[in-house]
Amino acid sequence: MKVGYLCTFTPKEIIYSAGFQPFRVFATERPIELASAYIQSYSCSQARGALECALKDDFYAFVFTRCCDTLMRLTDIFEFAGKRVYNIEFPTKIGNVEYYLRELKDFVEVLRDWGGEVSFESLVESLKLYRELEEGLKQLFSVFPDYETAIKVQQIDVKDAIKLVDEKLKSAKKEKESPKVLITGSVCPYPKIYDLFREAGFSIKDDLCTGSRFFEYIYPTFEPEDLEGALRFIAEKYFYKSPCPTKHYESDRRFEYVIKLAEDCDAVVFLLVKFCEPHFFDYPQLKSELEKMGKKVALIELEFPVVSTEQIRTRIEALREVIL
Amino acid sequence: MISAGIDIGSITAKCVILQGDKILAYSILRVKPNLEESAREIFEKTLELAGLSKEEVDSIVATGYGRGRVDFANKKITEISCHAIGSHFLIPDVGTVIDIGGQDSKVIAVENGKVLDFVMNDKCAAGTGRFIEVMANALGLKIEQIGELALRATERLKISSTCTVFAESEVVSYLSAGKKVEEIIAGVCDAIAGRLIAMASRVGIRREVVLTGGVAKNLGVRRAIEEKIGFGVKVPPEPQIVGALGAAVLGSG
Ligand SMILES: Nc1ncnc2c1ncn2[C@@H]1O[C@H](COP(=O)(O)OP(=O)(O)OP(=O)(O)O)[C@@H](O)[C@H]1O
Ligand SMILES: [Mg+2]
Repeated sequence: MKVGYLCTFTPKEIIYSAGFQPFRVFATERPIELASAYIQSYSCSQARGALECALKDDFYAFVFTRCCDTLMRLTDIFEFAGKRVYNIEFPTKIGNVEYYLRELKDFVEVLRDWGGEVSFESLVESLKLYRELEEGLKQLFSVFPDYETAIKVQQIDVKDAIKLVDEKLKSAKKEKESPKVLITGSVCPYPKIYDLFREAGFSIKDDLCTGSRFFEYIYPTFEPEDLEGALRFIAEKYFYKSPCPTKHYESDRRFEYVIKLAEDCDAVVFLLVKFCEPHFFDYPQLKSELEKMGKKVALIELEFPVVSTEQIRTRIEALREVIL
Repeated sequence: MISAGIDIGSITAKCVILQGDKILAYSILRVKPNLEESAREIFEKTLELAGLSKEEVDSIVATGYGRGRVDFANKKITEISCHAIGSHFLIPDVGTVIDIGGQDSKVIAVENGKVLDFVMNDKCAAGTGRFIEVMANALGLKIEQIGELALRATERLKISSTCTVFAESEVVSYLSAGKKVEEIIAGVCDAIAGRLIAMASRVGIRREVVLTGGVAKNLGVRRAIEEKIGFGVKVPPEPQIVGALGAAVLGSG
């Protein structure tokens, strides 16, 4: 049974260990029809597209983790629309592991109510599988950033996902090194958009939830010995995951992270979903930091489903011409 | 060296044939749904005007949103670069190009003909030539009359809808309220200029400001832009061909 989730901070390992299929919900190619009864057209189209999926497709339940304001309110809307929903209070301010551990314990109880038992063994196995997937994707991306695969693996069984990444890795051809563009933003579930960058002559690096933010972690170094230990491992794994603008970090981790990624790039594209507040709030400051580094910066706004790719193509090709 | 620039835009196809720094011929046609055919047609027409055969043209560069469909071109370059280069060719001290076409409007920061930065409007038609065409239609006017009429208005009405479809109903409701056509038109031109200047402030406006694209021929829009930025802009004698000209310049090496 599918359990839908939206944010990369969701502990999918726990969902999987309880016998459910974690399924990352993205906006699709389908036009937004039913969702318009619940959400205005001037809000994030990833949220609108996800609701459209929830209303049309078959899910057992949905798990949210505290993220941007829109996703928080989406939790209410899903509930209002009669869906089975659970919201994990992921701390906005990163640091307090004990607090988040309690949240995760509650979540285990919720899964039990849904008919899924989480044991120490099943959770360790699930952690192992997802780590294998993450390491595989990291390897694949170091040869060729394959967004189609990175998106697909979030919607299938992790064991099949590992096999898929393995196959892709075998046939992957190294991308030429330059000019390189860093694409930063939240989600872009349409592989054709990444192709536009390649067709314009760019090689790609990303800071996206549909790319490296799905598999970039700094793993805790301890071996869990019991269920609580495994949950603690997950709490720490997600605290030290690639940072996102919806979270507050002690230091300036988010900016430092993006700036580091940009170092070997010729240009940075902010590929932002219209009305995505957390990313747009950061945009002016981050843009000026990047420009100080001598990077060419461009903003491309998307609305899902993406229809006019030719306008996007012109922006990308023009950026390529500017850095020539 | 003879080079041709072909600009397949969303509304019109343009072609310029250039020899050294002399424009031998140019032409403008409405595009057809078949872009390949439009490209061939505009090229042949311009060749005829220049009294040349295809074989005499050394290089062909395509631009505009249909640039990928000009199968006989040697090269394709975006209209961002082409408008910058074309403007620089005509007005060497250009600092900002404002290109208002049928579907897109673009503001390009330029230095010595090189693009420093640019912004484009979003996919909707508000703030573009299409917007004015829809309004002209609602008022039963020809696009060429719009500018002169706007200049005659003593008062300007406010068009506050950002969406073309809603703005059209605003225009219609002004009409039924008995407002004067020129005042409505002046309001439409003002609305276009307002959107552009908001967009332009993202890259900054530096002198000289050159207006290109078909809408640069609209005196009402031109005046509204000048009022908002507080100084005069430059408009090439045929602003609609600047993209094609830039492409031809690029092709000439
Ligand atoms: N004589 C004129 N007076 C006023 N406006 C005009 C005139 N001729 C054309 N226009 C305007 O110019 C617009 C077309 O401009 P242009 O030919 O530059 O567009 P395009 O290059 O096809 O479009 P885009 O660059 O957006 O793809 C028309 O929509 C119309 O509003
Ligand atoms: Mg044009």
